[in-house]
Amino acid sequence: MVEYQHSAELDRVFSALADPTRRAILRAVAACPATINQIARPFPVSLNAISKHVMVLERAGLLRREIKGREHHCWIEPRPLREADVWLEYYRQFWELRMDALATYLVRKYKGAKKGGAHGKDR
Amino acid sequence: MEKTADGNYRIVVRRKMPVPRELVYESWTDPEGIREWMCPGDVISAEATLDVRVGGAFRIVMRGKERVHEHVGTYEVVDPPAKLRFTWAGLETPKEITRVTVEFVARGQESELIITHEGFSKGKEAERYEMGWGTIAHKFAGYLAHSPKPSRGVSSRH
Repeated sequence: MVEYQHSAELDRVFSALADPTRRAILRAVAACPATINQIARPFPVSLNAISKHVMVLERAGLLRREIKGREHHCWIEPRPLREADVWLEYYRQFWELRMDALATYLVRKYKGAKKGGAHGKDR
Repeated sequence: MEKTADGNYRIVVRRKMPVPRELVYESWTDPEGIREWMCPGDVISAEATLDVRVGGAFRIVMRGKERVHEHVGTYEVVDPPAKLRFTWAGLETPKEITRVTVEFVARGQESELIITHEGFSKGKEAERYEMGWGTIAHKFAGYLAHSPKPSRGVSSRH
């Protein structure tokens, strides 16, 4: 299973997929690798706009691009979506981060300046 | 991540806590405490409204730089200082209602916390499909079989 080290990476995946045009682009490219021109054709927006969407997907690691001459060939990088377990991973990370924060909070609150001595017997 | 017999998925996170379980339990039921530890990482502030009794509701709002994470739920088990169970729905995540069980286990002067987050069901993947996740993942299944190993990914394991 994919293990995300930084929530920033996961955030990029989520925000990239939050946009319907970008999801449509991914779907199209998943069916068949394509150039940016080919990708843009069915969309009622400028080539420039599509190019920006592609860049967002690329930054999120969802799409890869290779430049051959003047053509930009795009294909899908399925790894971030594999197994569709992204949400599970999101929450695993969510709880682990919070457990770290909770442990820190408890030490600060109950152990304060004390030097590791057993403290906080009961309230 | 585990897959349970009924085809659901769950996450289990265990963590040692440096204080007795009574104090850890308190940190989950005190809004002031939650405000402090529910905002790690990119979360700037957190607010919590808790009605800790069976059938009582809670609402936790975490404000990040770019996004607001809001979670709501209802307590199903309130058993101090051993166990809490509540439903959990993230307003920004898919509309599935999941369930979180928090067990507070005594370990001498310390304790262990076991969080089980479950109910990520197979059936509800339909909702993920709507969002585009599943559709894409499925289409790739065939594609993956023929694609070269990724030389680069967004993730890493240390």
